Amino acid sequence: MTAGGVLLGAAIGLVLLLWVANLIRHDRLYIGYGVIFVVGTLAAIVVLIVPSLLDAVTRGSIALLPVASLSIVPLALFTFLMVYVFAQITILSNRVTRLTQELAIRNTRQEPDAGARAADER
Amino acid sequence: MDIQPTRRSQSLVAIPAYNEAATIRTVVDRVRTDLPECDVLVVNDGSRDRTAAVLSGSGVLLANHLCNLGYGRAIQTAVLYATRGEYQQLITLDADGQHDPAQIRPLLAEFDRGEWDILIGSRYVARKRYDGVPVGRRLGMQLFSQLVGLTAGRRIYDTTSGLKVIGRRTFAALADWHFIDFHAEALVYLMRLGFRIGEFPITMDERRHGRSMYSALSHVKYPLKTVLMLVLGVVQASVTRRRAS
Repeated sequence: MTAGGVLLGAAIGLVLLLWVANLIRHDRLYIGYGVIFVVGTLAAIVVLIVPSLLDAVTRGSIALLPVASLSIVPLALFTFLMVYVFAQITILSNRVTRLTQELAIRNTRQEPDAGARAADER
Repeated sequence: MDIQPTRRSQSLVAIPAYNEAATIRTVVDRVRTDLPECDVLVVNDGSRDRTAAVLSGSGVLLANHLCNLGYGRAIQTAVLYATRGEYQQLITLDADGQHDPAQIRPLLAEFDRGEWDILIGSRYVARKRYDGVPVGRRLGMQLFSQLVGLTAGRRIYDTTSGLKVIGRRTFAALADWHFIDFHAEALVYLMRLGFRIGEFPITMDERRHGRSMYSALSHVKYPLKTVLMLVLGVVQASVTRRRAS
């Protein structure tokens, strides 16, 4: 991979990281989903910037799955799309959470006190 | 919505419960015996067992989540309830019977001195060591304790304790922020906002019934999630403080 390619890959990774972090901070991406994207992106950036790791991964991937290097582009787009989809799921999930909490609070009931009642009857 | 008519006290004891039918009634009865002046709220977090049924005739306030939202959200429901009920303090404890309700009164007495916004019942603050804790858990406790010290300027030795006294001043911050389990990530966020969080020594029993809320996979995900949320909490607290000033 050329130096330009490494820089571009790392830049895309950083943009993805910042986007994911910002979504989590604003409660628009569930932390459990976000942490997977963050760890995956950090791992990809480390592979990109450590030449020996990049060589090993490139050799391994070509041996297992010989595809054109351009296939990285749809992979990157797919990752961004995944983050967007999970953010939408999180937004819906947050609505369900708020509704569940609101219903629980509004419908909170005082259980009768059987012990006190028995004492009164005595 | 105003829920004041149900309020009899300044203090609300909240017990989040998920599938704790084996222990919840004993815990509730002990709390009501030891702290008769407090209201007791059980947040039944979508339990699939008889948790709600065994509380029949117990005299507690029962809030039912229609589905399981997790420990953090159950605590948040209690915070929202306490806010609307205008309670002055919220006391949280676990439903598994590991906390001795008799230890709440000295904890409350310390809290009433007014030095803290949140006071944590801590298993480790007295010795400042994690003796007798399994190695993996000990490493986690040390890591998060150190991280809290580094990011908030003061070490908290028991970041995962479920026994806490939470003062009214912190309710709004807790209702707004999407903390995970009210552990290190929430403590750092609150400390960075300027709230005073302290620890008070307590002892805790081993769990005898039910299962821990942490599965094998969550032992890997929990530290990653908490560290990420802790970092974002620091950022969010800075943004909030800047906006406020």
